[in-house]
Amino acid sequence: MKVTPLISILAVAAGFTLVGAHLAIWLHAPVEATMGLVQKIFYLHLPLAWWAMLSFFLVFVGSVGVLFRKTASWDALAGSAAEMGVLFSGLALITGSLWARPIWNVWWTWDPRLTTALIMWFVYTGYLVLRTSPIPHAKRRILCAVLGIVAFVNIPFVFFSTRLWRSIHPSVITSSGGGMEPEMWQAMGISLAGMGLLWLALIILRTRQILIQERLDGLWAARL
Amino acid sequence: MPRLPRFLILAHKDLRLMLGLGLGLVQTVLLGLLIIFVFSLSLPVGETMSGQGAAAIFWLASVFGLVLLFNALYHLEEANGVRLGLLLAPISPTTVFVGKALAGGALLVLAQIFFLIGLVVFLGQSLYGQWLWALGLVLAVDLGLVIMGSLLGALSQGQAARESLLSVILFPLLVPLLLGGVKLGGGLLSGVSIQDETQWMTLIMAFDALFAAVALILFPLVFREG
Repeated sequence: MKVTPLISILAVAAGFTLVGAHLAIWLHAPVEATMGLVQKIFYLHLPLAWWAMLSFFLVFVGSVGVLFRKTASWDALAGSAAEMGVLFSGLALITGSLWARPIWNVWWTWDPRLTTALIMWFVYTGYLVLRTSPIPHAKRRILCAVLGIVAFVNIPFVFFSTRLWRSIHPSVITSSGGGMEPEMWQAMGISLAGMGLLWLALIILRTRQILIQERLDGLWAARL
Repeated sequence: MPRLPRFLILAHKDLRLMLGLGLGLVQTVLLGLLIIFVFSLSLPVGETMSGQGAAAIFWLASVFGLVLLFNALYHLEEANGVRLGLLLAPISPTTVFVGKALAGGALLVLAQIFFLIGLVVFLGQSLYGQWLWALGLVLAVDLGLVIMGSLLGALSQGQAARESLLSVILFPLLVPLLLGGVKLGGGLLSGVSIQDETQWMTLIMAFDALFAAVALILFPLVFREG
């Protein structure tokens, strides 16, 4: 497998952008009038949640790719995206909980976005459990692809059903801008970009690791 | 005697095996009743559980039952290479899917009759005469449950620890259906009419329709050799 400096470049760029994001968060963006300093966690919470959702979409793309092309690279992409989705949505849930405690006075409450994120975390953790199950390789690839598609199709249903139940989440993205100052948006933009670069570097790294692992397993099996 | 469609022959075969050998259904009913009974212990003496709480317990028992039933249904073809025989039979995989779903649905409804009795006996619930609405709701939610159970039951077929694997995968995917079932079922058990709750019924039926289509496309990929 060809070694390229792409991951290193992305990782360094992510590091610099995240340092810039923190400077913007703490020095450039104003302190929110009602929530105070605790609102700063929002600049990490939202990018984590957005990149997690994109990861879940990538699992779907990789799964469709597996069913159409049946190649290892699509499966590796779906696997790495699921891992990043679980990691990023898990961190989004933790940061959300830390934010909710001083603002809503609870660690956890029922909310469509919060509950959707938690349920998707459970769904994709189940997907990862299936990936590590002792199933013959070719069959596992197909089963995971099927689950990857079913899980993604399920997301709108989870969201609408939890929204019908009840909601208290603040609406950040609205036609009026969600009441955020331009400096806040700038800090959010840099944080989104930094987190995105880190996410991309990790996705590529894990995809390559999974492919190398499969190749090593194949070589080992051939020796036996 | 007219010849039955192939999915009905398959469902009939599964039902005869499951009911004749006492596989699956007895465990499902016992587990469900046990769940309802254990939850009844959370109530102080003389108090009755809210309709929503009772509906949540009913659907929880149903989902655990679903896992047991579909594991048992797919387990029928695990011994002696019978699965290969089913794959080689001149029937399409979608026929297998529909047959399994039908058999699983019939067994689930049977188990739910006992769960309903459990709700009345252990949790002091009543449907306030809204039997037809309750039947419609149970059938609408059960349709989605058996579609997912039949698709994903095949997925865990032949695995060690398949019950836990299926539970971990299936439960979160069923959340939209369960929320609908709990919300509307809670209304019925509280004596409230659910005629105006069209959004929930639309959501449940949309879930059924979309996942039926998805399952018919994906099942042939899941249920095959190798």
